[in-house]
Amino acid sequence: MPDLIAALLISLLKAVLVVLGLLTTFAYMTLIERRLLGRMQIRHGPNRVGPMGLLQPAADAIKSIFKEDLTVTLADKLVYTLAPIVAIGMALTAFGGIPAGPAGSLFGENPWVYNLDAGILALLALTSMGVYGIFLGGWASGSKYPMLGALRSSAQMISYELGMGLSILGLLMLVGTTSFHGIVGWQAQNGVLILFQSLGFALFLISSFAETNRTPFDLPEAEQEIVAGYLTEYSAIKWALFQMAEYVNMITASAVMATLFLGGWKGPQFLNAVIPGVSDWPLVWLIAKIAFFLFLFIWVRATLPRLRYDQLMRFGWKLLLPLALANTVVTAAFLAFRGSGGLWFLGVLSLAGLLALLLMSDRVRVLWNRPTVRRPESEAVRAGGD
Amino acid sequence: MMLAFILLGALAIVGGVITIAARNAVHASLGLVGTLLCVAGLFATLNASFLAATQVIVYAGAVMVLFLFVIMLLNANQPVTSRDPVPYVRELAGIGGTLLAGAFVVLAFTYQDPRPLAEGAGALRGGTALVMGETLLTRFLLPFEAVSILLLVAIVGAVALVQRPAAQPDGVPDELEEDVGAPQERRQVPRPAALSSEGEVRA
Repeated sequence: MPDLIAALLISLLKAVLVVLGLLTTFAYMTLIERRLLGRMQIRHGPNRVGPMGLLQPAADAIKSIFKEDLTVTLADKLVYTLAPIVAIGMALTAFGGIPAGPAGSLFGENPWVYNLDAGILALLALTSMGVYGIFLGGWASGSKYPMLGALRSSAQMISYELGMGLSILGLLMLVGTTSFHGIVGWQAQNGVLILFQSLGFALFLISSFAETNRTPFDLPEAEQEIVAGYLTEYSAIKWALFQMAEYVNMITASAVMATLFLGGWKGPQFLNAVIPGVSDWPLVWLIAKIAFFLFLFIWVRATLPRLRYDQLMRFGWKLLLPLALANTVVTAAFLAFRGSGGLWFLGVLSLAGLLALLLMSDRVRVLWNRPTVRRPESEAVRAGGD
Repeated sequence: MMLAFILLGALAIVGGVITIAARNAVHASLGLVGTLLCVAGLFATLNASFLAATQVIVYAGAVMVLFLFVIMLLNANQPVTSRDPVPYVRELAGIGGTLLAGAFVVLAFTYQDPRPLAEGAGALRGGTALVMGETLLTRFLLPFEAVSILLLVAIVGAVALVQRPAAQPDGVPDELEEDVGAPQERRQVPRPAALSSEGEVRA
């Protein structure tokens, strides 16, 4: 029995550490993001609070805790309070299953909070529950703009969840397991999966941007159209909880991409010749890969404009989903007919698909830029109005 | 595990009661979400991890979001206060529910395992996607494919229902209707250059 209690306490401690780590990363992510955006747009960004602006997150935290917590009269009180809690709860829970190192490497303990056979499926399930936070928040606010934001976001996230799930199906067939440990172990033996599933990776990356509501898919809070979307009526700490959820989801998405496609917690093997065992160091490699993807998120935000809503839906359904299906079919065909053939052929196929997509980008753009259904009434209005 | 099973089962029932008792449609569907999550938890305690994850992804994560989507879109969350259009619907539902509950009680006390429990649990092998896929695509291949065809038919039906009528008179002569994609090119009216540039997109 004492063993059980000790194991429970250690799990609890690890969970608390993960939560603290994620929230600290969130706090400094906001600062890093603003500084980086400033740099990319040739301006300074926040640099007044503390040296180099390093105390800015603390100032922001104090502000959002002590601000008045408004509740709109028409709001549904219970759901209005529940929504940010659901959002942040699901976001934080999802991260715990991702392994950050080999078993027993973190002071004799395993560097993960929970380990499920259903690994990636459980993570997808938890992140899919995150929609409820945004969705219920928008509804419970009891006003028009949050409602519009909620409707947009639910349609968007459900659409892109499909593309997301399908884009890793090929990978899962190749590896033959859904547990993160199995996937990392497979990559340690056969090479990182981005080589063999580059098309799948591209699709997953795009879907991740849409799932985390980041530019160019940040339609739920498109400020020119619907004020701040589902966040409009939220203030103070509840607003901060939604922000936290968004950033934690970003971190989780980065960790998932690192684990599925870039070898997870394992570092490059050739470095072992320089420093023995360096590729097995816990935390270091995973954090480095997460940092890379987080930078990518910010970089894209500074680069790309926002899509229009109908473009977003058409892009998801007409390009992302069919391509993910095609990727699945090609991988399945390869696995069925490979005999003893090498994996390099699949890598070439996948890369060819990705390159063809890039080269054809002007040709396929009409898929999501042009309407398919002609609307006579708006056409007439336009002809008269011009 | 036993304790978790009982707790989750009780919570699932609470969610079910909320679903039928709540006045607000959104609260009712949240109760249903809770029930579905608890059922997923029940699967997890029964060692069927794949089924649990799928239950959450499909039912709680997608189907219920669409439910809520429709409720919010139609603003149907006001309680219905008018009389039931169907006469005696409550009485009939009560009789039906009682009969169903009675049938379940009879089932629960007369149930016999098709094969010994230990053997069945051994065949489950942790309920991973591997085991599920193997069973579905060998022993239950025909029902599995039949269900997928059924879903395909449902999708086609849904598309047919929502599709707009193709040929509605719109007042534009037919010879001008060919080039729907690039409406700005066929107009005789000169347009400002900024509005009719090549890359212009329109909804």
